[in-house]
Amino acid sequence: MSETETTGESSHVEAVLMDDDMVDAVKKKLGVGFWIAVGWLGLLVATAVLAPFLPFDDPDKLASGPARTGPSLDNWFGTDALGRDVFARTVYGARVSLVVGFIAIVFGMVVGGSLGMIAGYFRGRVDQLISFLFFTLLSFPGLILALLITSTFDRTLRTVSLTLGVLAVAPVGRLARAATLVFAEREFVQAARVIGARHFRILTRELLPVVLIPMAALALLGMGVAIVAEGGLAFLQLSVEDISWGVIINDGRGIRDLQENPHVALMPIGVMFLTILALNFAGDRVREYFDVRETAF
Amino acid sequence: MKQFILRRVAQLALVFFSVTFLTFASLNLVGDPLFNIVGVISGIPDEQCEAVERGEMEDTQSSGLNLGDCALIAQAKAQNNLDKNVVERYGIWLSDMMRGDFGTSFVNGDEISDIVKERLPVTIRLIVLAQTVALGIAIPWGVASAYRANRGFDKASTIGSFGLLSIPNFALGVILLYFFTLRWQIFPSRYENDGWWSELKALTLPAFTLGLGLAATYQRLLRTDLITTLQDDFIHMARAKGMSDRHIMYRHALRPSMFSVITVFGVNTGALIGGALVVEQIFSIPGVGTELVEAVLRNDPPVVISLISVVAIGFVLINFFVDLMYGYLDPRVRTS
Repeated sequence: MSETETTGESSHVEAVLMDDDMVDAVKKKLGVGFWIAVGWLGLLVATAVLAPFLPFDDPDKLASGPARTGPSLDNWFGTDALGRDVFARTVYGARVSLVVGFIAIVFGMVVGGSLGMIAGYFRGRVDQLISFLFFTLLSFPGLILALLITSTFDRTLRTVSLTLGVLAVAPVGRLARAATLVFAEREFVQAARVIGARHFRILTRELLPVVLIPMAALALLGMGVAIVAEGGLAFLQLSVEDISWGVIINDGRGIRDLQENPHVALMPIGVMFLTILALNFAGDRVREYFDVRETAF
Repeated sequence: MKQFILRRVAQLALVFFSVTFLTFASLNLVGDPLFNIVGVISGIPDEQCEAVERGEMEDTQSSGLNLGDCALIAQAKAQNNLDKNVVERYGIWLSDMMRGDFGTSFVNGDEISDIVKERLPVTIRLIVLAQTVALGIAIPWGVASAYRANRGFDKASTIGSFGLLSIPNFALGVILLYFFTLRWQIFPSRYENDGWWSELKALTLPAFTLGLGLAATYQRLLRTDLITTLQDDFIHMARAKGMSDRHIMYRHALRPSMFSVITVFGVNTGALIGGALVVEQIFSIPGVGTELVEAVLRNDPPVVISLISVVAIGFVLINFFVDLMYGYLDPRVRTS
């Protein structure tokens, strides 16, 4: 065997390896789009959190500029019928909308996630009961259930967020259950069982970390859904009494408002669209990045 | 198959009772229906009325009617079965409802069955139209993008459908209303119902508002399934026989690729019902949604319960039939 041949072969092997690595590297990239989406969400969250300290107008201040004017240097998104600054309202609306979306999905993850994992891990009767609960929850058209709760209780931020959280329980729970069913059969869980680990330990230490990955992708998508659902409730006059995106858009959608100053509705719609787009895109990328099917087998 | 149907029927019954009971209980346990009928005198404590009954006290008379307050309360309770407990009332209400008697509104005394008869058809027409729009767009769109997958048109439509899925339906409604009704004045700004043509015109924009997002969902599913189907041998066979691409796509490949779309069809009808409520507000369509919101705002529990139950039952039934159809089309489902 000559030296050149050996090096040739090893370099060939290396090339193959490198190719595989590169394929992996290409596949495992989240991509520029993902970071743009994250950047937008980061900017939005930062602006929303820091809003009181930034030089924005008071969102409720009347005659912040002349009424019903289009976008200008003073009022970036123009003013509404009462002369309130639409940009400031959109920023303050983001505070409410983002909080609602966040609380809703965290509630869904905690309650739905635990129920789903318990169902998938213990199976049998427990599974039947919990699956039936999910099935019943999903049998309600989502918005109707939300309508039912906010109309019987009140319209505080807490009620609205938790209501939408209840809606997230079934979809998140189903995913957690399905993922747990698959992973519970895997060697690392069997091994933990064999060495006598308690159920609680297996659930939290072995299963939770792997189930959390597909749930993270769903959480991003779910947050978008919750923000949209809050907007829907606002259109039915059943959302928070505070300013949220839904409330602002609903305020600006009257025929006269749309005719004379469409920006009152269209500007927040634009911001909302970009946010939902960013959440959907980021969620999609995360799901592809941690391809569940691939890790399952 | 028989066992499959039996299991689904049992499931249907269970879901039906939980959904209706949940609706009924939540609106009865919270809030005071008595207040809506008799007003502030519902605040009179029970002990006082018991004392009146025993003759220890004179009945107060603040309502301006000949009847004493406590007598009025007792009458209202008896008429509306409010003296019974929630489970009993649920039973009475359910059996009445089964016979088409929804009772009357607490606020204005309207027959609820009349309200349902008047409002439900409008919403159903809107939902059917929206599904038609969605399928009418999604099928050619899905076929066109699967035909040359990952080429220019397919890539553009991926972006397009992603964008459509990210527009909340109320936002799309406002945008369509702004352009098509206010700026270009193509569609009427208020709902009119003199014949089917004027109603169709009034329902077109709402149907597109609901249908466009749905079309994007269906297109994604159809495209994925079509791409799988197109790799099957019978497609190569058809191609080898020299059939036209159009014939192969629509006559051979389309039907076996519809499973995913059919599965989500039922689920999406539920989402559509919710969406229809919101979109009805934007376009002032006198359907179930507008009535439901009015009933909620005027605090009218019987109307709210009835409408929500009708919608929920409809949803459960639709999903039941979609499940059955799915089990019929795809034998694998029956055993799972």
